[in-house]
Amino acid sequence: MTAAALLQWALASVPEIIVVTGACVLLIVGELVRKGRDDLLLWASVAIVLLAAVATLMLAGEMQPAYAGMFISDRFAVFFKLVFYLATILTFFLSRKYAEIEGIGRSEYYVLLLFALVGMMIMASAIDLLSIYVGLELMVLCTYVLTGFLRKERRSNEAALKYVILGAVSTAIFLYGVSLIYGLTGTTQLNRMAEAVSGGPLDPALLLAVVFIVAGLVFKIGAVPFHMWVPDVYEGAPTTITAFMSVAPKAAGFAVILRVFLNPLVEASNAWIIVAAIAVATMALGSFVALVQDNFKRLLAYSSIAHAGFAIFGVVAGGQDGIASVMLYLLIYTFMNLGIFGAVIMMRNGDFSGEVIEDYAGFAKFHPGLALLMLLYLFSLAGIPPTAGFFAKFYVLVALVERGFVALAVIAVLLSVVSAYFYIRIVMVIYMREPERAFEPALTPLVSATLAFTAAGTIGIGLFPAWFLRLAQQSAFGG
Amino acid sequence: MSIPLLSLIVFVPVAGAAVLMFMRSDDAVRWTALGFGIVDLALCVVMLAGFDTTTHEMQFTESRPWVPALGITYALGVDGISALFLFLTALLSLISVLASWVAIDRKVKEFMVSLLVMQALMLGVFCALDLFLFYVFWEAMLIPMYLIIGVWGGEGRVYAAFKFFLYTLAGSILFLIGVIVLYFQGGETFDILALTGQDLPFGVQAWLFFAFLVAFAVKVPMVPVHTWLPDAHVQAPTAGSIILAGVLLKMGAYGFLRFSLPMLPEASLYYSTLMLALSALAIVYGGLLALAQDDLKKLVAYSSISHMGFVTLGIFALNLRGLEGSILQMFNHGITTGALFLFVGLIYERTHTRSIANYGGLMKAAPVYTAFLALFTLSSMALPGTNAFVGELLVLSGGFAANLAAGAAAVVGALLSAAYLLGMYGKVALGPPSVSAKYEIHDVNGREIAAILPLAIFVLWVGLYPRPFLGIIDASVRNLLVQVHGEGSGQ
Repeated sequence: MTAAALLQWALASVPEIIVVTGACVLLIVGELVRKGRDDLLLWASVAIVLLAAVATLMLAGEMQPAYAGMFISDRFAVFFKLVFYLATILTFFLSRKYAEIEGIGRSEYYVLLLFALVGMMIMASAIDLLSIYVGLELMVLCTYVLTGFLRKERRSNEAALKYVILGAVSTAIFLYGVSLIYGLTGTTQLNRMAEAVSGGPLDPALLLAVVFIVAGLVFKIGAVPFHMWVPDVYEGAPTTITAFMSVAPKAAGFAVILRVFLNPLVEASNAWIIVAAIAVATMALGSFVALVQDNFKRLLAYSSIAHAGFAIFGVVAGGQDGIASVMLYLLIYTFMNLGIFGAVIMMRNGDFSGEVIEDYAGFAKFHPGLALLMLLYLFSLAGIPPTAGFFAKFYVLVALVERGFVALAVIAVLLSVVSAYFYIRIVMVIYMREPERAFEPALTPLVSATLAFTAAGTIGIGLFPAWFLRLAQQSAFGG
Repeated sequence: MSIPLLSLIVFVPVAGAAVLMFMRSDDAVRWTALGFGIVDLALCVVMLAGFDTTTHEMQFTESRPWVPALGITYALGVDGISALFLFLTALLSLISVLASWVAIDRKVKEFMVSLLVMQALMLGVFCALDLFLFYVFWEAMLIPMYLIIGVWGGEGRVYAAFKFFLYTLAGSILFLIGVIVLYFQGGETFDILALTGQDLPFGVQAWLFFAFLVAFAVKVPMVPVHTWLPDAHVQAPTAGSIILAGVLLKMGAYGFLRFSLPMLPEASLYYSTLMLALSALAIVYGGLLALAQDDLKKLVAYSSISHMGFVTLGIFALNLRGLEGSILQMFNHGITTGALFLFVGLIYERTHTRSIANYGGLMKAAPVYTAFLALFTLSSMALPGTNAFVGELLVLSGGFAANLAAGAAAVVGALLSAAYLLGMYGKVALGPPSVSAKYEIHDVNGREIAAILPLAIFVLWVGLYPRPFLGIIDASVRNLLVQVHGEGSGQ
């Protein structure tokens, strides 16, 4: 291996290197920072992410395979990395005040988020089952710890434990699938796997391997039948981490799923039927179970299952439009879901948890502006125009119909009527109930800025989707 | 570049809503909302004044790319049919502001904002020339209407708002799939004009027809998907009822005219008998239900179902008289039923009861009120000289020409409407006074007359001299018939 090649590899992964180095430095510096100077940690973390973002954008022009075919820095990866940066920075902003209230404002919190970010970045760039595994594990190990960050709360401990055990099982399943594939084809690289089996009839063992890999990945995005951990983990984790997990790791999971599922090997094995079944079951379960939730975080957990189901429909559609539709969906979901979570996080103040939906009764009376923002996010999640949520669903449906899956499209929209019901129920509580108490949201400038930014995204992409659509289409591979 | 008149019409209410956001005094909010409403109505009049009635081409068109990657454009334009509805929408929205002047006493600003946003979206629906744009306007209306019913409505408002929301959402979301299928069938375009007159295979047309039918039937509403309407009407505040009955119900019928008939002509012809049967059912069933009501608002709501049955009957008669009659009847129904809801609201503000049994002898206590009420009751019954007579006569003659049984059912419906309306008027206005002893009923004041008078004028104007109204729609209707039946049928 030449030094030039090494340099080129390092260059392709500059953003990852920046974040890893930054996180390590922060780990040390964090111990030196005096208590009460959390702001320093926050801004340092934000600076690291911004630096990585700049590096990523500078690399966006060219396609850079690296590390002997394990890693690639293409436009697809760049798109996902930008989504991760966005979600991470917004999570940092939402965390500052919340961490103070909950007493979890330590440097590890920020460092772990940064490491999780690296894991996700590797996942987006991975084109080999092994590098996928490395990224995946780096990400989930950090989120295991972050889930249990409220050490004094039983709910949080229980959630972390559950998450670790179930997560380890899913990882094992995934690894088993990888080893089968390696045994049968002699490679773990996504491209070469397809070459190895092209032409001949499909080995049933390969199908089994594909099923294992599918199962392992589907766990990470919380799709049926591997969704059981989602409500408990989402409810138990600190709300800021819930917000983060519902958006960024899920997007990372989708990045991998798109790369793996749209691989010729999987396409040859007719896996799309499995995927279609998963999509329908996921959306149905998420929508129907969310109907009976009283806890806001649990409701959002089931809603995120339903949204994952809708995005999987885009995977089913496949093709360039299908891929682009999933990517656009995830970008839009980042805005609207972090927005609604931001509102829930803001409500956590003093003895008020902000977790029970009924507690929001009459919220509109005291804070008409904030209530309007929540209305916007909720209608967007329900997919009502002119919000961005509508366009996200619309484009997935376009991709489905384009591929001739009209029946699936009909199922998808009918299930989204069900999910509209529970979002509208929250609007009802906010606007149409008489207030029982006064509200004092923990509204710091940072939280306000986050809410304003996500609102701008939610309405802005809805009204002017053209630019974002083109970005997603140009970043999708397989075109 | 000329002034984008239609964009102005659509966005003046939005600007009004934005201005209202920054106001504090309730009175200032009311006057500002009224001011923007007047400006918008004036713009509609300007549009009508410049409208060329000799052509069926779209006029005042605007078009600019919106999402070029998917062939979505921001395209607006009006033909005779939509021009009439633009005017009706602006007029009824203005009257809704007047009708809520004192009836809405809390969160006035939020209410007026919702009303203005609602107005903008409705106007957008009627002049959108791009299916995607149309759908955005169409669906976004759910948000303000949900709030209007749910926040400012009566006792059971939350349930009613939910029901309204879910029914219409479930209906229109299938329409969305239909739109996307149409997009691919029609060569990847959302352009409404490009999609009309395409010769789609009959199988595709039939599927699309039913996908569209669900959405439009819920909005009209046709039996059996009508059950949201009485709930929504009874719970909605007066302005909400006026908007619902006056404009919202027209959108379903407008959908048939704009999409089903011209884009799916073979399916429309093939299933017209089914549609006539459903219309006849709605006419008779709605009439019978209205006959059994004691609640004033429910009575008017069920009568709406019956009257909208006439509209769909006229549409699917698929002949010139039926179509012209049904479009005119939509306009009339907006005026007359809007007025009736206004009257129910006026008396409800004074007595807080809507039960007919509680009224009687209003003639003495409120002579002006009862005199106007008589006019609108007679108009709703389609007495000669009033607007609905012209429309109903055209629909009946078109209906008989298309299908004898449907025409006969419509006549039964007309008789029923005379029965329940005269019964209602008799109990409310005539006879010995009952409530006036318990409540202090004062007659309508100047502001209320200002809301009533324009409607009364239109009742008589259309009734006595319908030509200008038919003239606006004539060319467009003839063109529509050509699109359905082929050349030579529009004469």
